[in-house]
Amino acid sequence: MDARLRRVNKEITDCKNDKSSNIRIDLIDSSPFHLKGSFPGPQDTPYEGGHFEVDIVIPDSYPFQPVKMKFITKVYHPNVSSASGAICLDILKDAWSPVLTLKSTLISLQSLLCSPEPNDPQDAEVAKHYTTSKRSFDETARYWTQIYAGGPGSRGKVESKEPARDEIAIAGLEKAHVDQFEALGFERSKVIDVLRRLNYRGANVAKIAEDKIVEELLK
Amino acid sequence: MSVCAHVDQDQDELAETCRTMQLEEWQVLESIFPDCCVSSDITQGNVRLEVSIELGYTRSIAVVDDGSIRPSSSATHGSEIRDELSSLPPLLLTLRLPHDYPLHAPPEIVSLQVTHSWLPQPRIKTLQEHLSGMWQPGEGVLYPWVEYIRSGDFLETLGMCDDPSVIRIPHPAPHLLAPLLKAHHTAAQSSTFAQTSYTCAICLAPHKGAACLQLIGCAHVFCRACLADFWGLCIAEGDVARVGCPDPECVRDREREQAEGSEGLGAGEVGEEEVRRVLGEEDIVRWRWLKQKRALERDPSMVHCPMEFCQTPVPKPPSDGDDESGWARLRTCPSCEYSFCAFCKRTWHGPLSDCPLSATESFVREYLALPASSPARATIERRFGRATVARLVAAYEEEQANRKWLDASTMRCPGCEVKVEKSVGCNHMTCAKCKQHFCYRCGEKIQASNPYAHFSTPGLRCFSKLFDFDPSGEGAGAGAGEGRGAWAGDDEWQPVELFEFVQ
Repeated sequence: MDARLRRVNKEITDCKNDKSSNIRIDLIDSSPFHLKGSFPGPQDTPYEGGHFEVDIVIPDSYPFQPVKMKFITKVYHPNVSSASGAICLDILKDAWSPVLTLKSTLISLQSLLCSPEPNDPQDAEVAKHYTTSKRSFDETARYWTQIYAGGPGSRGKVESKEPARDEIAIAGLEKAHVDQFEALGFERSKVIDVLRRLNYRGANVAKIAEDKIVEELLK
Repeated sequence: MSVCAHVDQDQDELAETCRTMQLEEWQVLESIFPDCCVSSDITQGNVRLEVSIELGYTRSIAVVDDGSIRPSSSATHGSEIRDELSSLPPLLLTLRLPHDYPLHAPPEIVSLQVTHSWLPQPRIKTLQEHLSGMWQPGEGVLYPWVEYIRSGDFLETLGMCDDPSVIRIPHPAPHLLAPLLKAHHTAAQSSTFAQTSYTCAICLAPHKGAACLQLIGCAHVFCRACLADFWGLCIAEGDVARVGCPDPECVRDREREQAEGSEGLGAGEVGEEEVRRVLGEEDIVRWRWLKQKRALERDPSMVHCPMEFCQTPVPKPPSDGDDESGWARLRTCPSCEYSFCAFCKRTWHGPLSDCPLSATESFVREYLALPASSPARATIERRFGRATVARLVAAYEEEQANRKWLDASTMRCPGCEVKVEKSVGCNHMTCAKCKQHFCYRCGEKIQASNPYAHFSTPGLRCFSKLFDFDPSGEGAGAGAGEGRGAWAGDDEWQPVELFEFVQ
């Protein structure tokens, strides 16, 4: 049995035996080198109550090369791509050390959710939203946690709501703003797309001229 | 007569009881301090104990000149040599246990010797008296003795630790004794290390210290097998900057120091002594070569000698400031004296003529320009051999494809010219080789202290383009990429990667 397999097996066992950390590592298929990690969203953050799953691929030269991780669960966070789940975290790149384990790396992801780093973003739009209005960002992140990560208030309620409301909340926008431009005769999905891209939120609303938005909508 | 016999019997019984007690005491002592009990002629009552002093933690030891050799010289009197030590050389106790020990008599101290005579004679006497005084009738005293000496408690009794932070040892010649104490401490430490069990944080398995290595700079311990795998891989991949302590804190410190600039050249990396303990000669040669190469490559004007057997780095000759002159291209290898052009790496072709195309390249181009299956092509094929021509054409096409690919999918690091392909992430790149920060879109150097200014300053050509360049349409940029369709009509800048390769 090679060293890599021995170490990964030990890590999986250790993680199973450790009940205090709330970190889980499960096999996806029969290979011990493709795993699924999961952890609860940290308390006192918009991710609280959510359950986040991470795709884990262990490279051939593990633990000397960093483990590959990305979120399976959709997360609204400046350092996580909202589309692909790719993660921007130094220990997954240059700052990786062979002493780090799957568990400690998952714990680092959990704490990344506590402390976003908008200056080194993986998702530029989310990062802009974060720096423009923290309150509005939190709301959107909480909404994503409800919808995608099974956060509080998700049970049955979301499905019964009209889907249009969801789209606006997912994009982190105000319903009144979307309605305003939809009333001008533009398609709702296009309005959402443009407002999201222009970061039409919080204090920015006053700075962006309506003409500019219409111009964008006409493109 | 009968009374006398009774007394003899009592004496025999007493001796028997004492012998049993002595044997038991010795067995216990042997099992607790196997290293201390050097002689087991216990049946004859002869016992030798060699007790090293283990202070438990590192303490300041000052060897003070007692002035006994040169009392007149006031310059040396009172001078001291200090060291941080955790153990002192052993005391050798030769004892004789009387037949009525431990019930009625204390052990007799035949001799008390001190290795390297680090303890002055009068103090040995004091110690001896004190030891004798520790005995209580009916109780074994060997264990308390050993413990009293081993722990260094006796130093306090001898008044050598009046200042609690330092142990003072008076000696006629401190410069002779101090190195001996240091050597004992080092040997004791390494034997303790070899016997202690460590859990290697890489393979997560326990190893005896003898199979481990403690790194000099940070004292972290890893098993040699894991260090060999780790450093071996780094050296094989040419990533010489990672040949250092694998601990996350050390990795982070090293990253920071190396990113901060040239002053930290090789900062936080391990030295040759440590690498040599783990890796074989072949790896060490390559490791040294990589380090040397990296140091030379910090100078961007350095060119390697094109002679395959030579490859010596050739620095730019001191110029008279006229870099535009054709002479600036001339390099002469200091090792093989080959003179060549720094641009095309061919034999020096003078300051005026342009760098020539390679002969085969122009030949293949000429051949390909002819119509397929034309008589002219057939002539060439007959003259040079069809297989040879086909091989040259294949090599040429591969070279072209390589160049095309490099132009299309890589960006040159503006610091060291290495070609970098981005697989995932934003356009802010840090060169793995020279740590230069640059923009993957335009290839410009960007400031390490504020790299995002390049993307967040309105008016710059890469403003708000931290993510938009993502030819695969997959991966990290996708979050921003969603809106790209709508952006296309904006001032979308066409990346150079899309330029056709000019034939």
